[in-house]
Amino acid sequence: MATIAETPTPPAPKRRRSRRETRNDGGSAVSTYGLLAPMLIVLGILFLAPLYYIFLFSVGLKRFSPTDALASLNGELNAFSTELWTKLISVDVTVLIPGLNFDVPVLVVGIVFVVLLITAVTAGRIPEYGSWIVGVAFVLLLAPFLTFPAGNNLLRLVEFSSEGQYMRLFFKSVSMAMTSSVVAVLIAIPVAYFLAFCVGKSKYTWLLIVIAPFLTSYLLRVFAWKVILGDQGLINSGLTTIGLIDEPLTFLIYSQFTVIIVLTYAWVPFICLPIFLSFETIDRRLLEAAMDLGATRMQAFRKISLPIIAPGIVAAFLFVFIPSIGEYITPTLVGGTQGTMYGQSLANQFVGGAFNWQFGSVMSLFLLGIVLLLTFTTSRFLRAGGGGL
Amino acid sequence: MNENMTRKGFVALTGATSLAAFLAACGGSSSDSGSSAADSGSSAANSGDAQAEGISSEEAAAGGSFDPASEPGGPIEVFTWAGYDDSEKDGAPWMWSQYQEGEYNADSPLKFTFLEDDGQALAKVGSGYAPDIIHPCIAYVVQWKEGGLIQPLDMALLPDYSGIPEAISAGGLVDGVQYIVPFDVGFSCLTYDADKINFDNVGGEESWEVLLDDRFKGRMALFSDDVAVIKIGHLINEGAVDPNVQTSEQIAAAKETALKIKLNLRNYWTSQTETVNDFVNGNLDATYTWPDGFWKIKNHEKMKGRNIKYMQPTQGRLAWVCGMVLHSASKQPGRATMAMAATNTPAAGALLTDKFQYASAQQNGVMDLIEDKALISAFDIDKPEAWAPPKAWFEAPLPNYKEFVTAGQEVKAS
Repeated sequence: MATIAETPTPPAPKRRRSRRETRNDGGSAVSTYGLLAPMLIVLGILFLAPLYYIFLFSVGLKRFSPTDALASLNGELNAFSTELWTKLISVDVTVLIPGLNFDVPVLVVGIVFVVLLITAVTAGRIPEYGSWIVGVAFVLLLAPFLTFPAGNNLLRLVEFSSEGQYMRLFFKSVSMAMTSSVVAVLIAIPVAYFLAFCVGKSKYTWLLIVIAPFLTSYLLRVFAWKVILGDQGLINSGLTTIGLIDEPLTFLIYSQFTVIIVLTYAWVPFICLPIFLSFETIDRRLLEAAMDLGATRMQAFRKISLPIIAPGIVAAFLFVFIPSIGEYITPTLVGGTQGTMYGQSLANQFVGGAFNWQFGSVMSLFLLGIVLLLTFTTSRFLRAGGGGL
Repeated sequence: MNENMTRKGFVALTGATSLAAFLAACGGSSSDSGSSAADSGSSAANSGDAQAEGISSEEAAAGGSFDPASEPGGPIEVFTWAGYDDSEKDGAPWMWSQYQEGEYNADSPLKFTFLEDDGQALAKVGSGYAPDIIHPCIAYVVQWKEGGLIQPLDMALLPDYSGIPEAISAGGLVDGVQYIVPFDVGFSCLTYDADKINFDNVGGEESWEVLLDDRFKGRMALFSDDVAVIKIGHLINEGAVDPNVQTSEQIAAAKETALKIKLNLRNYWTSQTETVNDFVNGNLDATYTWPDGFWKIKNHEKMKGRNIKYMQPTQGRLAWVCGMVLHSASKQPGRATMAMAATNTPAAGALLTDKFQYASAQQNGVMDLIEDKALISAFDIDKPEAWAPPKAWFEAPLPNYKEFVTAGQEVKAS
């Protein structure tokens, strides 16, 4: 009797592949990547090519002025130089913490924030204290930039100042965008929770109602705020009529406060969506089990819901922060002299009276670098599925 | 498509396509980017070619010579300020009527696009946009010319040009050749509510220094123009001294003053309509306007009974002249010049005052044609001294333009 080992294994019969399988083999790559092809081509033409141009502008290998004479009049670089990069980046930043002021090069500030960002992304894997480290890293990242209303002024826990006007403007813009993003997320979370858990079958009707403002023109919505916040607008007139104020609250319009309010309002409907979708992925039985085991609603939210929706929160935050940091329209219309943002100054290099496409390119690439860095590091966080939270 | 294409093959194909597109897009510049001194970009190439096609260098030195009859038809594009188009509703059809009633309009109709300010216009045209006629201000003619973007005029096609005083047209001369048909002339100054703004803290007379008076903090606004911001700082620092001529030290000092002014401002406006609305809606008590802005505020329904004034500061008002220039790439320079000539007639000049409250560069018989004589006295249009130093400082080409702009930018960015 032949053993199994001795028995030659007959070759597996070749299964005749179905037509569908055959087609999938050769065609899947085409059909899958074919979907991407238009985007890749558009990306090449509309993103990479302009990026290449912008790089050339930024180091003086290309200039705006079509002739030498105009270039000279406009003070443009005529050959390779890193002078404009130096002008933007080689500046000291004064960190103004109440009771403690010190100067550091801007690169040091950048490195500190990158380290904090990487810590926030990776420390969740550290056993036991991981979530605490992540929490502290997030607080150190966010807190210095948060803005708080105080009478007619705005206060920050830490002020970043600089002799370089553009770097100072950049930090101010980060602060305004950061505050808008955090406030928008804080408003959107309960709204999304309400939609996901409290309104049953009508949730999509409610969702439509929530995002309805998003269906109107952005410019119209900003102008509507001018009517609401103006000296003789809805709020000031109302407060004057009921006798709460004698003079209009002037900080309501043409201020940093106004820009933050309008940016927050503009983005809340939009970011309700990713957070709502995160809530939708929660298995309700987990929450029921937690309650059965004696957890309060808040404990259940903190231990179960929050880690699951964390990627949605991060995504929502980025959806607001990235476009806000380079905002142009909102500060132009309602920012006044105090609410100027980096994006306005950047745009003015290209289409305003500055004619300084070279420095505008430096400003653009710097902003792009910051956004890419942020996206890259937080995308790792998103893949970690909530990381340290 | 090849059904047997592998994933690797597809990626390679897509990559190659993208690379080809990328190189095609960059090709024009990559060849010239290395030698930036000779780099003219596409616009310069266009303009250079067009200049070669249109007029020779000898002709350019002597002025253009065009033959409208032999030119190809097609739209003549006019790049002008909003409100200067031929719209019956909110434009200025009277500006262009002479051309539009003429023989070439059917074959070469006018088409309008709008600019925001001189800087934006120069940036847009410098980067390749090529309208036939552009409407910049005269102080920027040197930059347009240095950029190779405009060409000399054929004075034979401008029969009314002699009605423009030499004091005005001289600003459009570069190397003895005329490049502009001056059209509109106006002031830039503060419109203010005299019931709310007073000059008690600055000597009792109207003065730009009122911008430093923190009693009016948050109730004033200025135009978002880098050069004007610095000129105003200079007038406050130096008094009635030409703000077009400033040393680096004076610009630095003017910037410091502008930074102090900024603390009292509510905003830098980018559209006059925006600041007029802010004023009549009670958000402002003083704002920088052109004459029409003042007139709109003064005659606005919400301003009835209010004492609205147009400041005549002791340091002098700022003033400007704008006009029409001819793009060097225009394929119809003769017909475009005829359209420009339409804006230079006494009738158009008179209507400029009646409709827009501006003075006209064309002055031959214009005073008699102006219907609303009150406007003449309201803006001292018939008084030459009101339009000359020390009462008014016209914009002029700035050899150190870059310094002005950088300082103004830094003020706004601070």
